Formats: sequence, structure tokens, C-alpha cells
Amino acid sequence: MPGKGRCPVATEPLLVVSDLRVSYGRAQVLDGVRLAVGKGEFVTVVGANGAGKTTLLRAIMGLVPARGRVQVHGQDILPWPPHRRAELRIGYVPEGRRVFADLTVFENLQAGAYRLPGGRTALQARLDFVYGLFPRLAERRHQLAASLSGGEQQMLAVGRALMIDPVLLIIDEISMGLAPVVVDQLFRVFGDMHRQGVTILLVDQNAQKALAAADRGYVMETGRITMEGPAGELRNNPAVVEAYLQSL
Amino acid sequence: MFIPSLVNGITMGSIYALMALGLSLVYGILRILDVANAGAYTLGAYVGVTVFRLTGSWWIALVAGAAVAASLGFILQRFFYVPILASGPIIPLIASIGVFTALEEAYRLIFGPYIIEFPARVPLPDIHVAGVPVRGVQLLIILVAVVVLVGTWYVLGHTRMGLAWRATAQDAEVAQAMGIDARRVTGWNFLLGYALAAVAGVLVSINYDAVYPTMGDMPAYKMLAIIVLGGLGNPLGTIAASLLIGLVETFVAAYVGFLLPRDSIAFVALIIILLVRPQGIFTRGAVAK
Ligand SMILES: Nc1ncnc2c1ncn2[C@@H]1O[C@H](COP(=O)(O)OP(=O)(O)OP(=O)(O)O)[C@@H](O)[C@H]1O
Ligand SMILES: [Mg+2]
Repeated sequence: MPGKGRCPVATEPLLVVSDLRVSYGRAQVLDGVRLAVGKGEFVTVVGANGAGKTTLLRAIMGLVPARGRVQVHGQDILPWPPHRRAELRIGYVPEGRRVFADLTVFENLQAGAYRLPGGRTALQARLDFVYGLFPRLAERRHQLAASLSGGEQQMLAVGRALMIDPVLLIIDEISMGLAPVVVDQLFRVFGDMHRQGVTILLVDQNAQKALAAADRGYVMETGRITMEGPAGELRNNPAVVEAYLQSL
Repeated sequence: MFIPSLVNGITMGSIYALMALGLSLVYGILRILDVANAGAYTLGAYVGVTVFRLTGSWWIALVAGAAVAASLGFILQRFFYVPILASGPIIPLIASIGVFTALEEAYRLIFGPYIIEFPARVPLPDIHVAGVPVRGVQLLIILVAVVVLVGTWYVLGHTRMGLAWRATAQDAEVAQAMGIDARRVTGWNFLLGYALAAVAGVLVSINYDAVYPTMGDMPAYKMLAIIVLGGLGNPLGTIAASLLIGLVETFVAAYVGFLLPRDSIAFVALIIILLVRPQGIFTRGAVAK
């Protein structure tokens, strides 16, 4: 049966999460989550509201206290302070955009490149790259992020994560409240990044789009991984269809 | 009366700006109203006067006062504020009032309850502006304030450190995900904030030739008015609000001084302005959630 059992990562793993546990007070929100993302792979995690997807990504980023293991290139980064993850070239698009509202577009991007090695030249190259992807950001580079539309803010959140020239891109919920054209544009960008070799771990309300874009998927239910498999198989799995794809 | 009031107003405004800037920096990062910051003002003055008596040098006194107060700020944030921050904004506020009170009692125990003189001579001459005498120490206060404030403006707006500060103030969590060490930013923030208050304390006590345990009381309250006017956590707005309050106070006291004691004028101004503009006068854009 598709989606049952283990589906080994095809390539050498870049990110391996094992037995990850997070609790808020007495509520166990992640209950022994394990997943792996191979080098260059595009992986998505689907699950109902409150399943713990955001918590999983936040735990990987070191933003909530967690137990277990989060290995990147075989190194356990869970005990690291959060800011050191940028050294590993992990780009993060948080849930709810969370652009720096009182900073300009340019300054937001500069903040995204805070740990980018290579000085001004490297910074300029990344800026050119991101402005190339999102010309609307280039036009508004000296505007405060607060003054951008929702779609533009989401572009900025994605652009900011791309500034570090990421090896691994962690994306939480970009389609929320956005026009379908903008969502499509952002997914095209993720697809391009993927083709250029960037490893992606993505969570999105729009499970249909997420599974269409990804190589592999995991299904998460109340803090556990309950299914995994090639994205195409999950898309056709009746249980997945019923739970996550039908309303779309 | 106009020129003397102007000079006095700018002098007071400069002092307020030094103190309020420190408080505003702290508020910007931790979202707490750190009343104990005014304790650093008094600490700076006491350390300053002590060092002055030993060395006879006003600037060694200034540096020593700032250094000791900066250490206090660093220790307070690392071992006191940061651990209780998770409990919401009210508990740190009350705790900071407690620290402030405890500091004042400590000063009283160590240095005694009476006014200590601070007869330092500053190297600037007394001058005349439009026929009005301006004392050297007033010039020094204005000069130090200008240097510090321009320096802060430059660092915040045009350096990597300033970017880290502003990003952390907006959203510390996301700033960390971008690779900014928010813990370090917070540490620097308190070092600077407490050093600024101490510089103000040393300069004021030279200006009035007086150091006493409760000298931080009025600034403590007044600073709250100023940083609210300045648009909480907005350093440039805070500087502008400081000058405004310094000038308003001085002019009202000079021209219609029979109406109100000087120290209440700041609060009357605060109330009037907040009735008209509840978000403060210098709020730019949205203050982060
Ligand atoms: N800071 C918090 N304090 C307490 N409980 C929390 C906190 N953050 C999340 N939770 C709880 O943890 C559970 C998982 O939340 P999480 O945000 O990870 O879900 P999600 O899968 O991302 O949901 P959604 O699809 O709605 O974004 C939920 O029950 C939520 O209420
Ligand atoms: Mg979520």
C-alpha cells in the first residue's frame, strides 16, 4: 500500500530529525517525530491545523525547547543557540511572514544576509538575485516593509530567507491569505530553487500544491508522523485525499 | 528671558535625551519599562564623585561612572530581567521598581543621606551667547549629548550592529533565525543604556554641584513620560521628545512659573499630547506587536 512503511531517502541525508519531542506545559505537541530530508530533496509535511507542523519547524530552528535529535550534515544542532543555524546556510520563512515592519525592504534583505560570508560583493549578488526573482521588491526597496501588501510581504519573507544563499530552505505556510497567482509565483520560485539544488522542507495549508511540488511527503497527526511516501503516491492515497485534499 | 530659557531648556533636554535614549533602547529590545535605569544615573554620580575625589579629574570620573553603571546594567539583564521575562511585562516592571528602590537605599547606606558636593571644573570656558552667560558645564552637557546622540543615530541607522539592534527590537525570534545573536544584542543594549544614564548623572551632579541618594526619583518618572511621547522604543523619537520636554518645561517655568512647579509640567505636557495623539508624537509606522 502506498504511503505505508519506510521510504528511504534516496540521497545522502541533509537533515535528519529523530525522536523529536516538544511540550507546552503539560501538552505534548510533538511526540517523537522523525523525518529525513535528502540532499537536494523537496519534502513537504501535511497535516491538519494544530497537528504540530509549525512547532516541528520551530524546533528545527531552535526556537522552542525540544528534546531528541536534529542532525544537519550528521551534526546534532539541537543544543545550538538559534542564531548559529544561519552558519549552516539554513533559510527560514516563518509562519505569518513576520517581516521586520519598521525596516525597509532593503534592510529586511540585509538582515537575511547577516551571516552571509563574502562581504559587499556577495551581498550585492544576493540582492540582485532576489530582486531578479521579485521585481516588485526592487521597486519598493526603500519602502518600509509595513507598507507592503500581504503578497509583497510574503515575497519579502521568502526573499529574506534566500539572502543567506541557503543550502536548506525551511518554509512555513506561505499561501495563507494570498491570491492564487502569488501563491503560484512563490511555488514556481521554490521549484526553481529545488532545480538549482537547494534542499527544501515545506509546510503549507494547500496540501495539493505542496504535494504537487514536492518529491516526498510526510503526514503528521497530533504530533506524530503517521505516513510517508513519494509525493505522487500520497496524492492518490485515499486516506490522504479524504483528510487533506478534498476541500480543495 | 528668552535666551537663558533656551539655553537651560536645551541643557535639560540634552540630559533627558541621554537618559531617555538608554531607557528607550532597553524598551525597544525587551519591551520592559526599566525604572531601575534611573538607579544607574545616581550610581554614575556617586562613582563619579568618588573617583573625582581620588583623581581630581572630571573625565576619569565620567568614564568610571559609566563603566560601573554599564556593569550593573549587564548583570541586571543577564541574571535578573532575562530570567523573568517570560512572565510578561508587568512582573519585570514591578521588579525594576524594586531594584530602583533597593539601589537608592544602598546609596543611602553607603554614602549617607546628605548632599555631597561635586566641585569638578570642566575644561570648557564660560561664554556669552547674545549677552547671556552660558556656563562651561552646560556647554559640556550639550556637547556630550550631541556627540552621543549623533553617534547613536549613526550606529543604529548605518551599521551592521544597528541593523542587528533594530531587527532584534522588531522580532527577536526571527532575527535569531537570520543569524543575529539576540542575547548579545541585549547585553550590549543594557551596557549602553546604563552607561548613558550614568553619563547624564555625572554631568547633572557637576552642573548642580550635588549628589544625593534620591536624585534619580524625578528623572525616573519623567523618563517614562518622555519615552511614551517619543513613541516607545523609537530612539530618534525619544531624542526629539526629550528636547521638547526640556524646552517646554523651562519656558513654562520661566514665563508662567507661578502656575505649576517645574517637574509637573512634563506630565501636564504628556497628558495634553497623549489626549491629542495617543500613539505618541514620534511614532513611525506600526510599533511591533
Ligand atoms: N506557544 C504555544 N503555547 C501553547 N501551545 C501551543 C503554542 N504553540 C502551539 N501550541 C499548540 O501546539 C499545537 C500545534 O501547533 P502548531 O502551530 O505547531 O500546529 P500547525 O500544525 O502548524 O497548525 P496550523 O496548520 O494551524 O498552522 C496546537 O495544539 C497549538 O495550540
Ligand atoms: Mg502552522
